Amino acid sequence: MSSRMAMWPTRKVTYLFDLLRELVARDLKIRYKRSALGLAWSLLNPLAQLLVFGFLFGMVLPLNIPNFPLFLFSGVLVWNWFSTSLLSAATAITDNRELIKRPGFHAAILPVVTVTSNLIHFVLALPILLAFALISGVGLSPVLVLLPLVMALQFILTLGLSYFVATFQVTFRDTQYLLGVILMLGFYLTPVFYAVASVPAHLQWLYRLNPVAQLLVAYRSILIYGKMPDWLSLLALYVMACLVLIGGYAIFSSRAGSRFVEEL
Amino acid sequence: MDDLRVDSVITVAGMGKQFRRFHSGRPVTFQEAAVNKLRGMAAVERFWALREVSLTVSKGQMVGLIGRNGAGKSTLLRMIGGVGRPDEGSVRTRGRIGALLDLGTGFHPDLTGRENVFVAGVIGGLTRREVAQRLEAIVGFAELEEVIDNPLRTYSTGMVMRLAFAVAANTDPDVLLIDEVLAVGDLPFQRKCLEQIAQFKNNGCAIVLVSHDLDLVRRLCDEVIWLKSGQLELHGPAEVVVGQYIAGTARETTRRTPISRAVQHTPAGVALRVNENRFGSQELAIAEVRMLDAAGLPVTEIAAGDYLRVEIDYRADRSVEAGRAEICPRFSVTITRGDGVVCFDTTGEAGAGGGQVALGIARLDLRKGVYFVDVGTYTRDWSYAYDYHWHAYTLTVSGASGGKGVLDAPHRWETDSVIGWTNDVEETLKAGLVTASSREKLPL
Repeated sequence: MSSRMAMWPTRKVTYLFDLLRELVARDLKIRYKRSALGLAWSLLNPLAQLLVFGFLFGMVLPLNIPNFPLFLFSGVLVWNWFSTSLLSAATAITDNRELIKRPGFHAAILPVVTVTSNLIHFVLALPILLAFALISGVGLSPVLVLLPLVMALQFILTLGLSYFVATFQVTFRDTQYLLGVILMLGFYLTPVFYAVASVPAHLQWLYRLNPVAQLLVAYRSILIYGKMPDWLSLLALYVMACLVLIGGYAIFSSRAGSRFVEEL
Repeated sequence: MDDLRVDSVITVAGMGKQFRRFHSGRPVTFQEAAVNKLRGMAAVERFWALREVSLTVSKGQMVGLIGRNGAGKSTLLRMIGGVGRPDEGSVRTRGRIGALLDLGTGFHPDLTGRENVFVAGVIGGLTRREVAQRLEAIVGFAELEEVIDNPLRTYSTGMVMRLAFAVAANTDPDVLLIDEVLAVGDLPFQRKCLEQIAQFKNNGCAIVLVSHDLDLVRRLCDEVIWLKSGQLELHGPAEVVVGQYIAGTARETTRRTPISRAVQHTPAGVALRVNENRFGSQELAIAEVRMLDAAGLPVTEIAAGDYLRVEIDYRADRSVEAGRAEICPRFSVTITRGDGVVCFDTTGEAGAGGGQVALGIARLDLRKGVYFVDVGTYTRDWSYAYDYHWHAYTLTVSGASGGKGVLDAPHRWETDSVIGWTNDVEETLKAGLVTASSREKLPL
């Protein structure tokens, strides 16, 4: 392995941050540059979902969840960040073969770029979510300062899984399709538009094992109920997310060295 | 070479790289893998793409890599760049690596030139601040000041390449890896690129260049490495290695020349017979060679200093054309004297398939005599000739007789002595002035 330039750690940190920033900016600019609505497009998809599910489960088959629009919109936004990140991370390596083969390029940054780009979409939609909270009379509680803590957790978890799917995609090119199916199932098995409470008691354990379901519970306790999240489950989630990230990064970097270059 | 050089920036020691060759039916999807019950996932065999490669490059040194396609040149270049791990031996580099491999990596057509400079600069190892500081220099170097805020898709290919080179040229690398990208843009820009590379070298940058352009390698590199099937065939001074490589081309050409082929006649009636005055694999054949004067009329004799145009018609052999669409031949025209002295030698490229390629020589200032015009067409990497016509075309140059040497260039004698001979009045005056001024310096 060639030893890279013994950069000052501060320069290296600045460099990696700039690299991330430029690649994320490139991602966003490319996606919205030639469209009239620009970044507003990123809001269209969750708003459409909100309309459909709001109509279905607010009027046709009422679920009788209090503050349903707020409940639904928080679920949709969190789920979209998670699923679109994973889907685009799947092709992060295979779509960037030139970059991967370029001397000195840090391949591990590519999944970070996809998760960050989608984080930005999430953040852009947050004001609308907060407006919902105000309109529906829930109001803004001081617990909201804890929101970044939950977002950081989601970031770590998504990034860890992203490393796995990006690595698999290099060897098995149908990973992205398989992932699409799994995420579709995951959408219904995660309480995005329904409450965990309405799940039969003997199936509740399944939801305890679903990290995204737990994540949603934490988000909603902050956004809707104005309560502290359950610290114990949050801690457990953090430990799990960090383990996923370490595992994902390990498998990614063990392959990134040689196999990626050969198999691309 | 000496591994203990203190100032060595690149050190490759006994390096080997294995590639796996997989079964052609290796599953590439989960679906196929499941159907095959995971059979065929393992590599069928491993082969050494590079083996026992050792080299060092010091500060300010430039090393060329030559060899046939698939000899491992590009793999070695990327291994030096830290892309891929060696299976044996080691690769060590010191300092920032700059790469001119795929120009324009990271460029996107919908972004403006300026936005692309930032992306490419950061990918190339600069921080945003450093890119901002160099922005003016980059844009100036690429000569794109006026269009830098237009989207890249409005640029011509040459402009994109210029911008890409300009970014790469401004990343201050300690190690520079170049892969066959110097043929960028028009001639003045190419010269600028070469100057920039020479400047890198002067500033102590260690450079490794992969190129099929043997002339360029000979001119620029201090040392050359000839790679053959992943191993070092020869390593030494540029002149020696390139010379040996060319000799190897001749051997390979002889080996590939078919035993027999229908005799072909040149316009002058000379019979072309394989293995006699015609060599090469004949995958691409030179059908006809015409020598024309300035008026476009066929000539066999010209006066010294006249214009000469050499037109070559070539076509691919139908039996080997299929699946060989990528043949992108190189051409050479060599003018030699009867005693074998090479008076003029130039090479060019042409499109695949067949067609015509022409060489215009503005003035051929050769001494009076009879010359051979040897014409050849070669593979892109010069590994062997497709077709080479040796001493089949003669050209007579007329002019004033007498004198030794090869050239009969336009010339004039001048002198500062009043006895000096000249038949030009102006020259006489000038000579007189010179004489007057130099006399003042004399102590007499």
